[in-house]
Amino acid sequence: MSAIHASQLSFFAAHAPFDRMEHKHLLWLLEHLRLSYYAKGEVLAEPAQGKVERCFIIKQGMVQGARQGSVEAAVFELHEGETFPVGALLAKRAVTSVYRAAEDVFCFELSADDFHALLELSLVFKDFCTRRIAALFDQSNQAIQAQFAQAASEQQSLSSPLSEVIRFAPVACAPSTPLQTALGIMHEANVGSMVVVDASSKPLGIFTLHDLLARVVLPGLSIERPISEVMSSDPVSLPPNAPAYEAAMAMARAGFRHVLVTGSDGVLQGILSERDLFSLQRVGLRQISGALRQAENIEVLVSLSKDIRTLIHNMMAQGVAAEQLTLFISTLNDLLAERLIELECAASGLLESPLCQDICWLVMGSGGRYEQTLNTDQDNALLFTVPKGMTADQVREQLLPVALRVNQALARCGFPLCKGNIMASNPKWCLSMDEWKVVFSDWVDQGSLEALMHSSIFFDFRALAGQHRLADELRNWLAKLARSNSRFLHQMAANALRNRPPLGLVRDFVLNESSRLDLKINGLTPFVDAGRIFSLATGVIQTSTIQRLRRSAADSNIPPHEVEAWINAFLFIQMLRLRHHYEAIAQQPGAGVQLLDNLIEPSMLNDLDRRILKEAFRQARKVQVKLALDYQL
Amino acid sequence: MKALLQRWLAPRPRLEHRQAERLSAWRGLPDAGKKSGFENSRCVVLDVETTGLNLMTDTLISIGAVSVVNGSIVLADSFYVVLQQRESSRKENILVHGISGSVQREGEAPADALLSFLEYLGKDPLVAFHVKFDETMIRRAMRQYLGISFNRPWLDLAYVMPALFPDLMHSHRGLDDWSSYFRISNEDRHNAVADALATAQLLLVAISIARQTGNSGYEGLRSLERTFRYASGER
Repeated sequence: MSAIHASQLSFFAAHAPFDRMEHKHLLWLLEHLRLSYYAKGEVLAEPAQGKVERCFIIKQGMVQGARQGSVEAAVFELHEGETFPVGALLAKRAVTSVYRAAEDVFCFELSADDFHALLELSLVFKDFCTRRIAALFDQSNQAIQAQFAQAASEQQSLSSPLSEVIRFAPVACAPSTPLQTALGIMHEANVGSMVVVDASSKPLGIFTLHDLLARVVLPGLSIERPISEVMSSDPVSLPPNAPAYEAAMAMARAGFRHVLVTGSDGVLQGILSERDLFSLQRVGLRQISGALRQAENIEVLVSLSKDIRTLIHNMMAQGVAAEQLTLFISTLNDLLAERLIELECAASGLLESPLCQDICWLVMGSGGRYEQTLNTDQDNALLFTVPKGMTADQVREQLLPVALRVNQALARCGFPLCKGNIMASNPKWCLSMDEWKVVFSDWVDQGSLEALMHSSIFFDFRALAGQHRLADELRNWLAKLARSNSRFLHQMAANALRNRPPLGLVRDFVLNESSRLDLKINGLTPFVDAGRIFSLATGVIQTSTIQRLRRSAADSNIPPHEVEAWINAFLFIQMLRLRHHYEAIAQQPGAGVQLLDNLIEPSMLNDLDRRILKEAFRQARKVQVKLALDYQL
Repeated sequence: MKALLQRWLAPRPRLEHRQAERLSAWRGLPDAGKKSGFENSRCVVLDVETTGLNLMTDTLISIGAVSVVNGSIVLADSFYVVLQQRESSRKENILVHGISGSVQREGEAPADALLSFLEYLGKDPLVAFHVKFDETMIRRAMRQYLGISFNRPWLDLAYVMPALFPDLMHSHRGLDDWSSYFRISNEDRHNAVADALATAQLLLVAISIARQTGNSGYEGLRSLERTFRYASGER
């Protein structure tokens, strides 16, 4: 063993993935390293060198990579502790960029053979290299969880698979079982629910003590009757590997108290009650959703909107990932808005009007994409069909005052009014089906800057309340329209490319005047824009960015691993943004959502997060390169 | 003074059989010869720790070294040894290099330690920062414990660096000055290996600069060193 280790270990202990490698593997690595110097401007690796022969770990200084052949030189920076070119080493090919010392650089070097030997030796290293960005995300997410761990240490995570959450074996019986017998079994086993299964143990229905009063006692039903007559048919079931939050979501959305767990063969494995999930949550998701559904006036909703925030904070504390978190926020916000609309419609007498069968409340923007955060403002609109004997203007006259009340009430619940007045109470955005089609057609035909801007908000619409079929009809119509208009898609792509990810030439990031970075505009928007364009081009009708990217990938010739890398990057930026909001609220409790911004100072991030953010922005660039290729921009 | 006299008047050291064999094996190694460039040769960058800074009275405690092979530092090919001391060094010096009295007494027998160093070195040329100090300490220990006259080629970066960067010569004198100029971090200053590594990193810089100015290779840098000594009035 050589003498140098002690003095170099501290360097490796400070950088991922070496900080997690086993000590003996680290020593092995040290035994196989060389240390080289590159003067400013010197090339470390370039495509012309052929198959890459060395793995570099920057000990000191900065290396700049420049991708060849791209019109606008894509330049990226590598700093102390970073390892490159991992992709080329894994694929045993030449590098695709020119790596040049941007200042005096000292680099540890590992031969390609030793690099592959280390991959075999150290799982941590292999994991890091093959999953790279994903592995960094994991590490960062663990750090986030550790940060919040004090608050939630005793709690099981909502991300645990259902198989771990189930506490009892399910109690089940055949559909022909008389109620009396079934109730006897339930009493014996001290359970509140009975699953009804067929001969092969596949669930047919569920009966709970809660149903006893309403379905048996009050109607005066004989307890000799078979249980199949009073059970709830087609119960919701989830696979055992589904995370607990999915069960919570299913309960919240549909208002059930139980969810079944069934294997891939459909055989019953367990039953989960809301009580099982309560222990996973500080504020119950179903409690809130139940309360939202039953709220009797706006005041109750206003106070529940605060509970939603508390719940979201707790979920962050439990390490629920950004994807689920934004879905949770959207789900709860939807429930709140639905109830609010219901209340306002009732208060204004609209519920009794036949018009009720012809209206659909739409949400757009981040709400439409299920990507709401804590500072999402309102983007909504109304869609209606004109009943016989009425004109669109007459319908509008009736709807606008109600819409205004809804908009104002939503504002009181913490959804700021839209600054651009993209709201249902604006006569411009309270339109009949035919009017919407005219407006959309105009945008697609014109392609003016304003039309493109509107498209980017409105084309993310989905139904929130009222007649969902109306929104579906409009969506399917739009899918056909956009797909056939390549000029419009080309313009959208060109517009999207105006917004470049802020990777710096000199330092890591290009910052605004206050040396901060806008996570939403600079980080998320490239993915959101690309998702919209890919989906419109391939006829995908989903509105969430993740779904759009995933579902349009095959038709857009995007390899699956690439899409997943984009999605990971998108989610990471989203997580940083949520955490930023979380911290802002924690520092200033009671501060209004208006105070939440999306601006972060990269210098305040830890090393790991800064590196991932950089990597995430690189992925944003890749998305844009794909757009540019597709549309020859 | 008494100790000094004892050392000068001491008889030739008596080596054990195995030690004598090791020494003659080293002596029998072919000389590395004057290779042209650093790209295809090995040299050893060295730093020593001593009981103090007095060339006359202080003695060698440890040797740290790293090798530069074909133009880059090979981490595995590094060397460190502590020489067993008759009495441990003064307290203030222990504080500087951090080798405690007990470690000093536990070190290797000096003859064995020096033989290990020779075997690590082979017949390759040496590099250090302020060679005079390191060379004096090593030479004296070699004479005292192995009874040999250690005449090997040395390159002194303390002269090479200012020769390559004349603009910096007045503001940069010590190893720390040059290290910090090139932002070479040293987490373990005054540990002989860590200091040797920092010196070796300086050598890499020097090699790179010298390549641009045509003074390439070990001999190129040596002649640069000689010229600079001459120009600055040293003979």
